[in-house]
Amino acid sequence: MGEKADVWQGTLALMVLKTLETMGAQHGYGIARRIEQVSDNQLSLNYGTLYPALLKLEQEGAIASEWGVSENNRKAKFYKLTRAGRKQLEREAKGWEQTKAIVARFLSPAEEA
Amino acid sequence: MRKLRALWMRLRGMFAGAAAEDELSAELESHLQMHIEDNLRSGMTAEEARRQALIQLGGFEQSKQAYRERRGLPWLETLGQDLRFGMRVLRKSPGFTTIAVLTLALGIGANTAIFSVVKAVLLAPLPYKDPGRIVAVWTANAARGGQPLPSTAADFAIWKQRSGVFEDLAPSYDNEMTLTGQGAPQFLIGYAVAANYLRILGVAPQIGRLYTDQEDRPGGPKVVLLSDHLWRTTFHSDPNITGRAITLDGRSYTALGVMPRGFNYPQSVEIWIPSAIEPSAFDDFNHTYVRILGRLKPNVTLAQAQVAVNALEAQVASAHPDTDSGNRVVLVPLREQLNGDIRKPLLILMGAVGLVLLIACANTAGLALARNAERQREISVRLALGATRKRLLRQFATESCLLATIGGGLGILLAMAGSHFLLTLFPNDVSNLNIPTVTSIPIDRGVILFAFTVTVAAALLFGTAPVLRALQVEADGVMKESGRGMTASRRSNRLRSAVVVCEIALSLMLLTGAGLVVASFQKVVNADLGFQPDHLLSLELFLPPDRYPREDRTRTRTFVEQVVKKLETTPGVASAAATNYLPLSGFWGTTNFLLRGQAQPKDGQAPEADNRTITPNYLRTMKIPLLSGRDFTDADRDGTMHVAMINQTFAKQYFKDKDPVGQELNLGSMEQPNWCVIVGVTGDVKAFGQDQPTHADIYQPFDQQPYPIVAFTLRTRTDPAAMVKAAEQVLWSVDPELPVFKAIPMELLADQSLAVRRASSVLILAFSVLALVLACIGIYGVMAYAVAQRTQEIGVRMAFGARRSDVLRLIMSFGARLALLGIAIGLAGALGFTRLLASLLFEVNAMDPVIFSAAAALLVLILIFACYVPARRAASIQPTEALRAE
Repeated sequence: MGEKADVWQGTLALMVLKTLETMGAQHGYGIARRIEQVSDNQLSLNYGTLYPALLKLEQEGAIASEWGVSENNRKAKFYKLTRAGRKQLEREAKGWEQTKAIVARFLSPAEEA
Repeated sequence: MRKLRALWMRLRGMFAGAAAEDELSAELESHLQMHIEDNLRSGMTAEEARRQALIQLGGFEQSKQAYRERRGLPWLETLGQDLRFGMRVLRKSPGFTTIAVLTLALGIGANTAIFSVVKAVLLAPLPYKDPGRIVAVWTANAARGGQPLPSTAADFAIWKQRSGVFEDLAPSYDNEMTLTGQGAPQFLIGYAVAANYLRILGVAPQIGRLYTDQEDRPGGPKVVLLSDHLWRTTFHSDPNITGRAITLDGRSYTALGVMPRGFNYPQSVEIWIPSAIEPSAFDDFNHTYVRILGRLKPNVTLAQAQVAVNALEAQVASAHPDTDSGNRVVLVPLREQLNGDIRKPLLILMGAVGLVLLIACANTAGLALARNAERQREISVRLALGATRKRLLRQFATESCLLATIGGGLGILLAMAGSHFLLTLFPNDVSNLNIPTVTSIPIDRGVILFAFTVTVAAALLFGTAPVLRALQVEADGVMKESGRGMTASRRSNRLRSAVVVCEIALSLMLLTGAGLVVASFQKVVNADLGFQPDHLLSLELFLPPDRYPREDRTRTRTFVEQVVKKLETTPGVASAAATNYLPLSGFWGTTNFLLRGQAQPKDGQAPEADNRTITPNYLRTMKIPLLSGRDFTDADRDGTMHVAMINQTFAKQYFKDKDPVGQELNLGSMEQPNWCVIVGVTGDVKAFGQDQPTHADIYQPFDQQPYPIVAFTLRTRTDPAAMVKAAEQVLWSVDPELPVFKAIPMELLADQSLAVRRASSVLILAFSVLALVLACIGIYGVMAYAVAQRTQEIGVRMAFGARRSDVLRLIMSFGARLALLGIAIGLAGALGFTRLLASLLFEVNAMDPVIFSAAAALLVLILIFACYVPARRAASIQPTEALRAE
């Protein structure tokens, strides 16, 4: 299976929001698969942990859910971004970029040395 | 915002029902199915597809649990679980729960009720500006009895100008007046107060205005301020009262305004008029009539002010030694001035009721300990199954809180019922005591907060012991111990013993305190008043100066004589008389006197005695004994030889062994002597209440010394209260314009004068009985349990040949040790506690050995009983049964 990075809280929320932005309304299983695919199977995602994360986002008002029918004609709960969610995504993405840049700056001289 | 929304959603999530659970299941189910389908598509077997999907999900139930924890608030849910479990546990042992809850309810209820009184009386905000800095200023002088009394105008003026500690200082003096022209004539308690007096209090009238400094001068306009009560009753809340002319003492005054409702200073005053003190009065060091109110400067403390004023007064005294030497200036904070006689009893009651609560807590702790010992199996099983200690502690704490909360809730209900009753114990109509007017004792937010605090404190107090005990439990240890234990473990014994010792000590403290207070009350009630108050009616009145001029006292003489004559012939009246100052009425006055041959003392240092003027039948009507000599007769009139009687206290104080009859007293001055021959000695009358010392009294015939203050007393053949109407008719037949200040049977007056003492005694007795009952329950419960736990040990002892008497002795000596320890601690505590009671005691020693030993003996008896019953039961068991018992 190789080394896989664990998904930590916070990042998972960001990934969920980004996924929903790209794909539109999606059910839990779809989101999980999508995150795995995008990460090129580098992430070990326990699908079960996705649902509390979705619930948290929903409680915070970033996403909304409703029951619908999947592509395979199966009843499933679909999640979609709310306006608040879109803003949160923007904010967190920006924050993430900053963090990334800062950490990168710390790490790059070490690589040169 | 986001966090808040989430918290709200989670709170709602806590109450998610079955529908939410179904939805979660459906969502996860559909997730699994989609995953399985995908796995099948990628070529797995059906079984493998399902297995892989579940692994990736991380377990179906686990996922659900993680989701649930996010949905609600787990800690809150645990609390809910603990509460539900606690309720179930409590319901399972209804006996324990009922006793514990009732015990706590009584303890908390009693505390809340007394606190509600304390709050209403001692802590209620005073409706004055910055009342903490307002002080009443009095002069005390050993030659005048050492009590704080009014001061002289000259002293006032010097203190005001030179002390430097007062922001402002204002004079006043009492000034009773008769209001006419508004229905029945009314006698009103009035005060002449300086304009700045009302500014010091910081009150504004609800209607109209205060008078100004310019209006407050000799010869100034006759203006008056009315109390809210007077305005509402006599003037029917007339909104146009300002500017209206009213008649006081036959003169016309202009009503300036109405003081706000609740403004009551000085107490019971109905009208305030300008003081209008002549400038020359401020050189008068002789007459002590000025009642002073002051406001301290912001940076001056009471103690500093006290020192500064007394230093100044020492200078004044050296300049005016005749009048001021020995003077001590006393500053009394406003609140103390208002609550004077009730503060100490209330605080003592608060202490007593606190002890009751401690006993209630010890009780509950003892019960909880015994019960938890029975639950040790449960505890050890739970520990063995992996419950953490923390979780168990939480469970116990929750149970304690639950008990305390139910008890506290019931307690508040009890307090609400009780505070009404407490109000009746503190009557407002007490003339001889300084008691604030309390019309309601509300159970308000502050009281509820107090009850809540007490509840939490109680829960901590009684809950800690069982929780500590639970902490020490070892999972395997308990199973072993409760399985085959021979004697109970040391530690649990010690905790239980501590509970018993505490209860004995606390009960002893309360019992001795109650014993002393109740014994004092008995003594006071049975104390001889010096007259027979039954079948005695009194009518107090004040003769208005406009119709009964001070210069011409003939009218006063005639009026009193006529009324007494008419009263004596009224059906139902056995005899009638009149006096100036009625005993127990709160009114009294003094006169200076000199004995024949005594050198002229310095001014203000002449001996003083209470002056009482009476009509000839007074002693007979009041049934005051005549000890020697003769009573006044109708022949002792104005113009005949001036005579006097003295009471026993006077005789003892000034004549020692000499026979006073025939001796002479100068009741005038050196320059204008008024020599009176002492013709008789009367018994002492407790004129200030049964528990107050008797003053030296001088009686003079009313006709020789008429007074504008008159109290008629009637010895009736039937119920004196029923005679009020008839007596008033007689009065009004002589003078239809005269108001009766107060008509009251003397028995009732005597009864009222004991109000605070009675209330305190009744309450402290009730609390100690309550404490005793609680302690009985608690001690018996703990001892019975302790003995029951030793059943096996007893079995072994008996199997080895111990006799029943040995077993009895074993248990009894255990109880005796606890009793002795508890009594030793309790006696030490009682000595401290009863010392605080001193102000409630009367002719009872604070360390009365009879009461102390009686209280101790009572507790020993209770403990013997509490040990004996279970000990006998234990001793009568067959050894074989005892050995098998668990």
